[in-house]
Amino acid sequence: MSAQKKLSTMFSRYAVVIIFVIITVAAIPPSGLSVTYILQEIITRLGRNSFLVLALLLPIYAGMGLNFGMTLGAMAGQIGLIFAVNYGIANWQGLVFALLVGLPVAVLLGWICGLVMNRAKGREMVTGYILAFFINGIYQFFVMYMLGSVIPMGNKAIVLSRGYGIRNTLNLESVRQSLDNIVMLRVAGFSIPLVTFIIIALLCIFVMWFKKTKLGQDMRAVGQDMAVAESAGIPVEKTRIVAIIISTVLACAGQIIFLQNMGNLATYNAHDQTGFFAVAAILVGGASVTNASIANVFVGVMLLHAMFVVSPLAGQKLFGSAMIGEYFRQFIGYGVIALSLVLYAWRTRKAAAEARLSLRGARSGPAKGNGKPAAENGGQA
Amino acid sequence: MNDTITAKSAPQSKTRRRLVQGGLLVVYILIMVLMIFTGRRHTILIDNKDAADGSYSAINGMEVAIDKQESAEYYPGDRDRALVQGQRHTIQVTIFDGNTSIEKTFTVPLWSDMMIISVPKMAAGLEPWIEPFTMAEQIEEAQESGPPAGEMSFQSLGGPAPEGTEEAQPSP
Repeated sequence: MSAQKKLSTMFSRYAVVIIFVIITVAAIPPSGLSVTYILQEIITRLGRNSFLVLALLLPIYAGMGLNFGMTLGAMAGQIGLIFAVNYGIANWQGLVFALLVGLPVAVLLGWICGLVMNRAKGREMVTGYILAFFINGIYQFFVMYMLGSVIPMGNKAIVLSRGYGIRNTLNLESVRQSLDNIVMLRVAGFSIPLVTFIIIALLCIFVMWFKKTKLGQDMRAVGQDMAVAESAGIPVEKTRIVAIIISTVLACAGQIIFLQNMGNLATYNAHDQTGFFAVAAILVGGASVTNASIANVFVGVMLLHAMFVVSPLAGQKLFGSAMIGEYFRQFIGYGVIALSLVLYAWRTRKAAAEARLSLRGARSGPAKGNGKPAAENGGQA
Repeated sequence: MNDTITAKSAPQSKTRRRLVQGGLLVVYILIMVLMIFTGRRHTILIDNKDAADGSYSAINGMEVAIDKQESAEYYPGDRDRALVQGQRHTIQVTIFDGNTSIEKTFTVPLWSDMMIISVPKMAAGLEPWIEPFTMAEQIEEAQESGPPAGEMSFQSLGGPAPEGTEEAQPSP
């Protein structure tokens, strides 16, 4: 392979990361923020978001693409937190309680999501996205009507004045940063939430261990080729459901970690952007629809959130309005996802064309085929 | 031979599996209950007021600390709150006059959100010095007793007229 071709391949593979690094680094000087401040913000946001982004890994391994259905897990986590606040359970005990309440809900929703995705093979991403909208409707009904009317809520402070339904914003003061503050390390002027990072590290170890297990290997096999995996005796559909259930449960825990750090819960829309920002982060980190690693998660969270920190102030300085920076965040988030998907499709086609060319070269004659790239058959929506 | 072993061991493993699943469910519920018992937060009101019947009077300066929380000073008529987690707690009172110290342990009922501790009552050795406190009851009591003479009425603050005032007005 020539050096030019190598460079071109590398650029096409890491285009999103390269573009993002350039934009972020260029935005730092006009923002006027100190490097220390940006680093502290990145540390905080790593603790807040990494768990959620790690939840995306297993479905990618199982060939189900980026799990936009993780929003379902986020909703389950929020239901758990509502009950923890309702019963007045504070501190880390409140978080564990929320997790225990949210866990069965997340398993149920993950199972439903897996069943639906098995009926939409090859279009998991768009299916997950729309399924999240559907379950959101049920969540709204549950929180807006069932809580307080069918399910009694003892804490009147969180119930709407009409007597049922939960208020738009919940104050999570009782559990606010309770995980982060168990052990807050101070190193060279930086505050590091040690326990949160230990939990994230444990999840990374779990993911690495899980990949080596029988189930993990099955997931890889299913992700590479479902037909081959099926013929090898792997229960493809069951394996895919398990991948989605684990992802949903992790998203449930991730949302609880996220919200305890934030300290308040926008009851009806906190979960709306969960999947979107997690997907944007992992893509910024260099992952693709079919390939992701733990490193992608951390690089992505750092880059995306560095951009989020500097962009409002850079927008303020450059255009005279912080709102420009806010728009920039949204634009970048959606832009990254779109660019990644386009690049993925382009790479798939290019790889197929190259494979066809090499086949022609090997046969030293015109190839006979249906004209469709082979990789398209296993491609994602 | 092998078939016989498989046929015998299948129900056994099924039973064992069910037992493990049942055990896990019990552990799951136990952890939840444990979290409720150890994590439930209560508000403790610390009161330093005279008794309505004159059976005890407010302490003229004291320092009160609950568990290992920061202590606070109280003077006659003061009332403050402390947030506690769990059910068993200790209250430490240091009275400035004579520098006497009192330490008592108390238990908060699990589903009680707010309790009030009357420190003068506790110092006088009267029971019960800790009682449940509900805002609704307090409002009811205040309404029953009516506004004290000489104080501003609700109407003078622009509020709605109390019930029955219109009937009481003489007709022209």
